[in-house]
Amino acid sequence: MSSIRLRLLKWLVGPILAFNLGAAALTYLLAWTPAQLAFDESLRAAAGALAGRVRAEGLAPLADGRQAVDGAGEASWAALHDARGRLLAGSTALPRPAGPGLRDAALHGAPVRIAVVALDWQGAPASISVARTVRARQQVRSAIVRSLVLLEGVFSLALVGLVWFSVGNGLAPLARLRKRLDARGSADLAPLDAAGMARELAPVVDAFNALLGRIEAGARAQDEFRANVAHQLRTPLAGLKLQLEWLAARHAGDPESARSLGLMLQANERMIRQTNQLLSLERAEPNRFARSRLQPLDLAGLVAESIQHVVEQAAAKEIDLGFELDAAPLQGDRFMLRDLVDNLVDNALRYTPAGGRVTVSCGASPDGGSFLRVEDNGPGIPPQQRRQVFERFVRLDQQSVGSGLGLAIVRDIANLHGAELRLGEPERGSGAVFTVAFP
Amino acid sequence: MHILLVEDDAVLADGLTRTLQAQGMQVEVARDGLQADALLQRNPPLVAVLDIGLPGIDGFEVVRRLRARGDATPVLLLTARDAVEDRVRGLETGADDYLVKPFATPELVARIRALARRNAPRSTLLALGNIVLDSGARRARVGERALELSVREWAVLEYLLQHAGRVVSKQQIVDAIAPWGEDLTLNAVEVYVSRLRLKLDGAGVSLRTIRGFGYLLEAGA
Repeated sequence: MSSIRLRLLKWLVGPILAFNLGAAALTYLLAWTPAQLAFDESLRAAAGALAGRVRAEGLAPLADGRQAVDGAGEASWAALHDARGRLLAGSTALPRPAGPGLRDAALHGAPVRIAVVALDWQGAPASISVARTVRARQQVRSAIVRSLVLLEGVFSLALVGLVWFSVGNGLAPLARLRKRLDARGSADLAPLDAAGMARELAPVVDAFNALLGRIEAGARAQDEFRANVAHQLRTPLAGLKLQLEWLAARHAGDPESARSLGLMLQANERMIRQTNQLLSLERAEPNRFARSRLQPLDLAGLVAESIQHVVEQAAAKEIDLGFELDAAPLQGDRFMLRDLVDNLVDNALRYTPAGGRVTVSCGASPDGGSFLRVEDNGPGIPPQQRRQVFERFVRLDQQSVGSGLGLAIVRDIANLHGAELRLGEPERGSGAVFTVAFP
Repeated sequence: MHILLVEDDAVLADGLTRTLQAQGMQVEVARDGLQADALLQRNPPLVAVLDIGLPGIDGFEVVRRLRARGDATPVLLLTARDAVEDRVRGLETGADDYLVKPFATPELVARIRALARRNAPRSTLLALGNIVLDSGARRARVGERALELSVREWAVLEYLLQHAGRVVSKQQIVDAIAPWGEDLTLNAVEVYVSRLRLKLDGAGVSLRTIRGFGYLLEAGA
């Protein structure tokens, strides 16, 4: 993923550093050249002065042959050569002069600068060479370089810092936009307000709002579709159910008709159940989950509400359905949790053999959360299949009538509420124990 | 018992009519919201059973107009869309109860009866199966046999009959028959119910125990 910040920094910091480097090189040249010229001038002047003294005093000024060390610790050598380069007087260390002028050389391993001036010696052309070590020059040069490096370093750092800050500052509106987007609820599809936003972001915000609009329209269409499906399926199913019940009551005395009507009623019940489950499953889609609908609830109350709907089912199979309901407060979506309770109990009643026992309990857990537990004394579920049962359309047993959706709904709703869903077995005997532990 | 049924689906309306008539109710049917609105004014029923998704004006609007007129007729809303908001909005608009289609018939009947009792001139006669409880005369019968009941047993049976077809919790019974904080335990309720069960033998009702919760009294042995 490319980063605007990195891109800006690369294209700002790189060139700034290159420019600084160029400027430093130029400064060095500008500072060093005049200093060099001044040193050379002073060396040439010393050679000229020596030539004057030799002309006036003879070879005496060159008598000591070697060097003088001045106050700055700079050593110098002088010599007189004739036109053919023979040493007439002075230091033997100096090379034969190559003509008047200035050049670099090394004497006894130390770098020196040599100035040569021409003079007339006893009627013949000769030259005076003066060599001087370059300590002072080197000191000056390193002083220049040191100052430059320090200066440019500080300067560059300051610039980079400034650029960094400016880039961050320039990108701040983006960060603010992101923060606003992050703060939105997952179901909040209201358009972003462009007021107070950078002008450059307006097209982005517009495009984003257009997208939100399309999503919202899609969600609304989906809601409407769902409501329509619900209406279109449930109303005729309800009508059919009542008609069949009426007919069954009339023909109770005729075994053949009663049997057929019983089967029709069963099929009708199955269709009703499947419809309800498909709709609950759709409702438990994570992207439809609205935090705003969470409210303080008591599981005990929710279970009590659902009892009415399960007693008939329990009675039909002569299942001993019992409850142990203690206060179990939690934050949740009332309708989803009702779906969760209904489906867990329905599942237990469905897979417990006739004459069995199902117990629904809820309460506060020691860790401060709440739990819902549905325990049956049916055949139970082997450990290796326990993960599978929560998958959609999975039915472990092909004989019983179920959609394979109930536990998937339970799982989805538990997940949405951050609850942990456990499947185990009772302490004694066979059976299955479903526990939903809410945080 | 005069019921106004407002349902646009012909099959369901017909089924509901027959079912409710079989329960001894007089059913008047309206097909749309405006007709319902007119009937509610012309011939106020004991209970109105109202579908939400109606042609013309919807069920919410019918309830809103009804309540705006200061009419307290009990309303049971039927909804096919379980769009969560529907349920909440229905009750907020002033409906008394709601039921999601398709519903269990005994539950529908129980709810309509409960609403009717709220609206009826205090009826003194409660009946289910072969039981007849006359609270005016304080006499109870099972068929031709007179039923001897203690004051508490009477109160429990009366409450169960009033809520026939619906699961009631022991706590609800305690709250109803000993409302002034009298000392009545859940265990005591169990004792009264078990005595009632003996006395109601052959009464053509089933008094089912919901373990750990409460009871369900229904017609049928």
